[in-house]
Amino acid sequence: MPNRTSIEALILESVQMLAEDFELDALKNPSTDTSLYCEGGALDSMALVNLIADIEEALAKKFDVSIALADEKAMSARNSPYRSVSSLTDAVIERMPA
Amino acid sequence: MKTIVITGTRKGIGKALAENYLAAGWKVVGCSRGESSIAHEHYQHFVLDVSDEDAVVAMARQIKASHGSVDALLNNAGIASMNHALLTPVSTVNRILQTNVVGTFLFCREMAKLMRRTKNGRIINFTTVAHPLNLEGEAIYAASKAAVESLTRILARELAELKITVNAIGPTPIETDLIRGVPQAKMDALLARQAVRRMGTVKDVINAVDFYLREESDFITGQVLYLGGVC
Repeated sequence: MPNRTSIEALILESVQMLAEDFELDALKNPSTDTSLYCEGGALDSMALVNLIADIEEALAKKFDVSIALADEKAMSARNSPYRSVSSLTDAVIERMPA
Repeated sequence: MKTIVITGTRKGIGKALAENYLAAGWKVVGCSRGESSIAHEHYQHFVLDVSDEDAVVAMARQIKASHGSVDALLNNAGIASMNHALLTPVSTVNRILQTNVVGTFLFCREMAKLMRRTKNGRIINFTTVAHPLNLEGEAIYAASKAAVESLTRILARELAELKITVNAIGPTPIETDLIRGVPQAKMDALLARQAVRRMGTVKDVINAVDFYLREESDFITGQVLYLGGVC
């Protein structure tokens, strides 16, 4: 199973690629604390949809795991897992197959 | 070479569509619950139930690996059951909704992800004239296709930003397994309600699909096109 650092790196890379596609200057050099989908975050809903799909694809390609990040748990969570790179990393780790 | 995904390719309209687009120079990825009935160097087949989420996600992953992206999706797979509502078991209701609604949704969702980068994706769903004609004996089938039409219109809005168009075609009865067993008198009465009173053909369907697939059709989305002059 991949460790936190490698998952975080994968998410950061996905955010960077998305930033280039969507020309989001605020996300071109993301860190673990970078805000994504929250008040003051740089993503709108369509960019978030793309980011989630990109991360799911990258996880499948790099680690051969099939994870749905947009599941009911994520939708109903009090604190959205999409708010930052760090919270997205937590969400991926939670959903990793045992 | 463009890639088109077609569901329900083992027989009927789906098989004819697959053979047509293979002949036209597309790479075709098909699926059905049974083994492939098409042998072609540019045809890839998956055996699955279109309403099985894990199987559809796995298929999308394999397409991503082998083709990179998808240009078009024809959500052709569908089942029907003609019966009076009072005699329709709930198992039949669930089966029809699973294949026609859940299956269509899953393929739209997974293939749209693979169309994101092409910036010119095409999704074509299949509905039926049984919905606008409110045909007796087809309550659940028509209701499932009404859901497909609604899905088509809303996805057209949701996917427009990704440059993916989402439209639907509503064929009239065509000689396929789907209508085998429908009494002739019923068929004649149905044809009488069309402006053009003849059975449809696969060519009629291909003509409408071609129209939606054209590059110039990027301004056409969220539309339902019924054949035979049904409205």
